[in-house]
Amino acid sequence: MELQDTYYNKSEYVETASGNKVSRQTVLCGSQNIVLHGKVIVQSDAIIRGDLANVKTGRFCIISKGSVIRPPFKKFSKGVAFFPLQMGDHVFVGENTVVNAAVVGSYVYIGKNVVIGRRCVLKDCCMIEDNSVLPAETVVPSFARYSGNPARLITTLPEAMPDLMTEFTKSYYQHFLPTTVN
Amino acid sequence: MAYLTQPDFVRYVCSCGQLKPITNLYFCRHCLKIRCGFCICHEVDSHYCANCLENMPSSEARLKKNRCSSCFDCPSCFHTLSTRATFAQTRQDPAAGDAKVENKQAKKMYYLSCFNCRWTSRDVGIPDQPVASGGWPERPNPFSARINQLLDYYKAIAQQEKQEKLDRERKKFAIRGKYITLTDKTGLTGAMARNIAGLPSSESSSSAIANFVPSVASAEVEELPEDYHLREINLKQVTTMAQRLASPEWQPASVARLHPVARPLSVKRSQRCRACDHNLTKPEYNPGSIKFKIELLAFYHMPEVKIISHESVKPGQQSALLLKVSNPTSHEMALRLLPPDHQAETETDETTETHEKNEPKSIEKSLEKSLNLEKDTTWSKVIERKPQMPALSQICIPEVTLTLAQRDDAAEYDDDPQHDTSDIILWRKSNKLALRLKVSTDPSAEVGQPAQVALSLQYSYRNTVPPSAQSAQHRDHTLTTTVLLDLGTVCE
Repeated sequence: MELQDTYYNKSEYVETASGNKVSRQTVLCGSQNIVLHGKVIVQSDAIIRGDLANVKTGRFCIISKGSVIRPPFKKFSKGVAFFPLQMGDHVFVGENTVVNAAVVGSYVYIGKNVVIGRRCVLKDCCMIEDNSVLPAETVVPSFARYSGNPARLITTLPEAMPDLMTEFTKSYYQHFLPTTVN
Repeated sequence: MAYLTQPDFVRYVCSCGQLKPITNLYFCRHCLKIRCGFCICHEVDSHYCANCLENMPSSEARLKKNRCSSCFDCPSCFHTLSTRATFAQTRQDPAAGDAKVENKQAKKMYYLSCFNCRWTSRDVGIPDQPVASGGWPERPNPFSARINQLLDYYKAIAQQEKQEKLDRERKKFAIRGKYITLTDKTGLTGAMARNIAGLPSSESSSSAIANFVPSVASAEVEELPEDYHLREINLKQVTTMAQRLASPEWQPASVARLHPVARPLSVKRSQRCRACDHNLTKPEYNPGSIKFKIELLAFYHMPEVKIISHESVKPGQQSALLLKVSNPTSHEMALRLLPPDHQAETETDETTETHEKNEPKSIEKSLEKSLNLEKDTTWSKVIERKPQMPALSQICIPEVTLTLAQRDDAAEYDDDPQHDTSDIILWRKSNKLALRLKVSTDPSAEVGQPAQVALSLQYSYRNTVPPSAQSAQHRDHTLTTTVLLDLGTVCE
């Protein structure tokens, strides 16, 4: 089925020169540490914790409503340290999802209501299904589809996953339109 | 992406008769046929650990029983174990000399811990390790001696049978010597003589066979303890079936005996067409890479059909159906819609017929083929079958030939879609095209039945394989594929 148009209120969103569309109803802590590489959509009530460490996303990422992007910490003998969070291109993060990963590769699909534990590594081309919990320090290999609590490999993904994700995020961006002013 | 998050609304008919979404199909450029995971040959390219992403040669993988040597899974919840460090005071040995007393600084010790269920290697009394990775004690298999004995035995038997077969072959073609030995004259070969005398047939491989003691089934089973049925059990102390089967050698019954499970390796696999032995997919060697050296997916070679929207299907009525067809290839594509039962005989079918003619040869030949496990094409005849096509609903097929432009990556910066004046084409945009079709449903269709329609597509395909020396292939082909569209259920 084809993606339907989603409309947003034009006054609610800020569009940058590089094509990022960021809602005003978001919490962007430490915005100097947040880099959105262009054509990224950050929807309302999303939280990006740039105050803890750097957060970098690639192009065509979608951060859905109510999701939390939070750099991971590691406990050392002398206190804790936060690590930067890197996200590749064409990443979809579903609604009400918490991402604590260290690295999220490109062409990654994360469903809604998912918890990605501290310092997880999500390789390129993987998928975490809705309502999954990925425990801390998990490595998700490429072309793997994880589901459950704790999330486990359930099946593999088709070889055309990069093109599927590219098409999906691009068409999401194209179908994310401002409501026409009356 | 919709392919992964939604049910399969559009399914293609594979050449073996399976119905699959286009993402699960492959397209063999050499046979010009659709293949799916069911009718291709899967091969293991390389072994790697999905956790540490380290490659392992297949010989080493076999030696290590296809398990990673440095990564472990939790025996309780099967999540990957993490290594944690602690500072432990080196224990002072009272018997040690003065030199060791000075060595008082804390030493880093490591143990395994599960971040999901909080199981640790200390729970079952595995001592901490001084090195971060590796060095964990390997548990000996209680039955390893017997298993090795069995392995030796069967290896010896295999060796013996091979030898016997070779001997038989040799005998068949052996030229009778000038001198006739006594055993030949009496029809008694050396092997037979040994056999009659009850001696092992040949000296070389006999030791493993001779020393082998077969297992004896005993009727007597150890009695259960007296209080077995009366004792109160703590279910938290008893392992689950999955936990037991994770380590089949030990099958621990109590949680106190769970040990870390070495992580099974993953494989990178390449896929091969079973009819022509050409590779369909071949991944790059590096486990972290997502690129492919060869990637013949249907997604890149066939017109892709998507449902934009449709009216609900009602018995005895016509309903509108909007389809999007796109051309993923870099050549212009001519497209014709056909009714599903219209099996246009394409040029590819001729080749299969010639195959068939070549097939019935002497029985001996085919027997030899099956014995040597040679490439055998009869399998395709066995598994090929036609899926049942829905008959209740039909698409009214317009008699037109449509042209689809080639794929153009710069097209995303183009303007709005062009609206066409034609009745069938709703709009065009670079290599995409929206079709407006009508679905007519039989009045006898019952409410609640699944509403499905089938449609055949005839499309032109330009083969970009460099022409091989042996056959002067023509480049342009006309191929047909059938798709099955799922339109929900029949409504009132």
